[in-house]
Amino acid sequence: MPGRPDTALPGPGSPAAAPAVLPPRPPRPGIPMVEGTIDGIRVSVPRGTTLLEAARLCGIEIPTLCHHEGLPAEGSCRLCVAEIRGQLAVSCMFPLRDRDFRAETGSPAVMDARRYVLSLLVNRAPKAPRIARLAEEYGVAPDPRFMKDPDGCIRCGRCVRACRANGPEAIALAGRGFARTVTGPFRKPPEDCIGCLACALSCPTGKIAFSEKAGTRKIWEREFELAPCPECGARVFTREQIGFYGGQASAVCPSCRRRLMATELRKAAAYEAPGGPLLLKSV
Amino acid sequence: MRLRSIEELRALRRELTESPAPERRLWVCGGPGCLASGAQEVFAAVEAACRDRGLQGGARFRAELSGCLGLCERGPLVEVEPEGWLYGGVKPEDAAELVGETLVGGRFLDRLAADPKCREKDLIPFYLPQKRLVMARFGRTRPGNLTDYLAAGGYGALELALSELGREEAFRRVELSGLRGRGGGGFPAGRKWRALKEAAGRPRYLIANGDEGDPGAFMNRALMEGDPLSVIEGMTVGAYAMEAEEGFVYVRHEYPLSVERLNSCVRAAEEAGLLGDDILGTGMSFRLRIVEGGGAFVCGESTALTASIEGREGQPRVKYVRTTEAGLWEKPTLLQNVESWANVPMIVRNGPDWFRETGSGDNPGTKVFSLVGKVRRTGLVELPLGSSVGSLVNDAGGGVPRGRKFKAVQSGGPSGGCLPESALELPLDFDALAGAGAMMGSGGLIVMDDLSCLVDTARYFTAFLSEESCGKCAPCREGLPVILEVLTDMTEGRARPGDTDFLERQARMLAATALCGLGKSAANPVLSTLRYFRDEYLEHEGGFCRAGRCRGMYQPAVDPASCRSCGRCQKACPAEAIEGSGKEPRRVVPEKCVTCGACLAACAFEALKAHRHPEGGPDARTA
Repeated sequence: MPGRPDTALPGPGSPAAAPAVLPPRPPRPGIPMVEGTIDGIRVSVPRGTTLLEAARLCGIEIPTLCHHEGLPAEGSCRLCVAEIRGQLAVSCMFPLRDRDFRAETGSPAVMDARRYVLSLLVNRAPKAPRIARLAEEYGVAPDPRFMKDPDGCIRCGRCVRACRANGPEAIALAGRGFARTVTGPFRKPPEDCIGCLACALSCPTGKIAFSEKAGTRKIWEREFELAPCPECGARVFTREQIGFYGGQASAVCPSCRRRLMATELRKAAAYEAPGGPLLLKSV
Repeated sequence: MRLRSIEELRALRRELTESPAPERRLWVCGGPGCLASGAQEVFAAVEAACRDRGLQGGARFRAELSGCLGLCERGPLVEVEPEGWLYGGVKPEDAAELVGETLVGGRFLDRLAADPKCREKDLIPFYLPQKRLVMARFGRTRPGNLTDYLAAGGYGALELALSELGREEAFRRVELSGLRGRGGGGFPAGRKWRALKEAAGRPRYLIANGDEGDPGAFMNRALMEGDPLSVIEGMTVGAYAMEAEEGFVYVRHEYPLSVERLNSCVRAAEEAGLLGDDILGTGMSFRLRIVEGGGAFVCGESTALTASIEGREGQPRVKYVRTTEAGLWEKPTLLQNVESWANVPMIVRNGPDWFRETGSGDNPGTKVFSLVGKVRRTGLVELPLGSSVGSLVNDAGGGVPRGRKFKAVQSGGPSGGCLPESALELPLDFDALAGAGAMMGSGGLIVMDDLSCLVDTARYFTAFLSEESCGKCAPCREGLPVILEVLTDMTEGRARPGDTDFLERQARMLAATALCGLGKSAANPVLSTLRYFRDEYLEHEGGFCRAGRCRGMYQPAVDPASCRSCGRCQKACPAEAIEGSGKEPRRVVPEKCVTCGACLAACAFEALKAHRHPEGGPDARTA
């Protein structure tokens, strides 16, 4: 890749080399480091680090859609492909395990594959800003001939994984093939939904709609009442959310929680300070 | 009765083989094909006829239901032991005569001969090129009967492994045999076995894949119904050699008889001390469970299959770690097709050199093929690997019926490929078929004649795969419908210029980017037909279907010189669009013709052919 500095990384055996890029995590005991190049940039990472993680560490941008740092990877959108060992691999899941790996993130085969994937997804979500931007960047356009159901959803399943990670598992991908859709059980509004918005906020296309007004929140054709924060009265969480995550203690809104936490921390610090507990009154 | 030691197994086998065999037996074929053509009723009638003659439970004359005898075309079949005669097209009304004349009387009934030219099954052309090893006990033992299986030498491999060979030698025999996975990929079994044997982590699981889902394929079904114990013994031997604790047979939900037979065999083997805890008093344990499939084609894919066994949605997952390292519940797992497992006992019993005597070089052993389509004799054929495609199609299958020409053979199921006439020279082995753009798959072969349109065939298989796509990854979920749309347009006269090239690009990208093996191979129907029949695609782009299959895209016409005025085309035509009478050649009236293709199929003299639409194709009409 032109314009990118061919920087060397100080491997475990070469402390004198110029510092350029740091490993994502410090070497962990028992996990050996593997070293190789991505687009010619040398990088050393703990064995098992994904190619995507290693590439980002080198400052190489790989586009992703179904990938989300906080969620288990699925490798289903196929946009983040890169070339390694002469084959295409989804970088968000490919574990770097071989010594002296060599990966290319911008080879002709990679660009072809991304264009192909985007040409398909743009017909599903032509209006989604993120898809439209990527499509433009890669030079593909929606094709009316193949636009059969442009419902704005690209079936990446981030919403489903977010819902599962948060606990409720209220929604899932149901059906097969082209007809696969995100829905509640039996294709009805999800009964187990707690209105936490994790699905909507993790959706890369903005397909999952929600609205809030007058102390209520609407999502998935359901209406939730927002409970007031016991400290400031702001309505942030739904009653179902508070119930799901452990009652009244979790009803405090995030900004009040930060304030309360800070107070606690100051108390603790004063306790530790010379003079100790006697100073607590002044906090 | 529980066998407590290897010695007890040997004693029982001696007892079984020394007990006198019946003088004559009628084996009514209970294979999938014959059951479909009424074998159950024939068997019931034969049993009734035996009762009438007071023969039931008799030691001299018996009638039994057998595993698949192979020649489905002539079903229901009945084989006569020991003469080896084969009857075909048997009806319940024939039962009394069959019992009286043949079973008791020992006389051959000419009118029921499966082949007009010979009585003996082994001399019928269908069976001549065959070597039945996996299907050896079909028609020799009652399906799933442990006593029969033991008497026929069954569990000899386990006995030998436990008593003489030991784990290492049993393993070594399979490794050296060169057995390759019969499920389609042809991956060397020995490499998989070694990977599992050396894998860290416990327990280790074995899986037999019996989720046969290819349209027109039924060899795994015939195996699971006809000789389920060979699969179970193979897995037990494998468990011993690789120190695996637990096994699963994943059976297609739509095969209830397979499920029933396998379950009853597992119970019988457990009761006999051949499965479960402390097998034959040796301390070895292996538990086996039969799992019914989730009802999706994709569940035959290894990672989807393991997900399904775990109780999750049957969907493939990205696999950069081998199943032998982390498979079922993230534990080391070895998955093989049921036919691969059925090969294991004979390899362990007879040794790798014996196994390598059959087949060719890197493709030792036999393979069961289900031969269907436009051939004279359809059925299950077991051939040594390396036999030519032609020997399967023309020798066993008897070639395409008279008056038609061979056009292509589709090998490897929906995601396999279509090969042209030149492929008849190809050896039937994993590498040759893959090199030609098709694949062995699990062994389904569909023969097509000149009335088959390859674009339409590609459309059919793409529609199947699109329907069966799980929808997880974008290329398969969104890309297959794009390919299907273009193929549908092509077969319905709406193709656009450049569609052929567009299809090729789409198919290549799908193969390059899809998540699982199924998605990657889903482009094969298009890619293989494009490779060998590109002309037809280009013709379809221009609105012409030379096979006379795609409606409105051709004009049938009679060649007066070839017409014998037989009038069959007139009888077949539903639109009364064919004129002419007596000895004059027939004529098609284009205005009345609905291009259904019935006349083309009816003509036995190649006088009727599909011609290009005179007005320049359907573009004019649909515009």
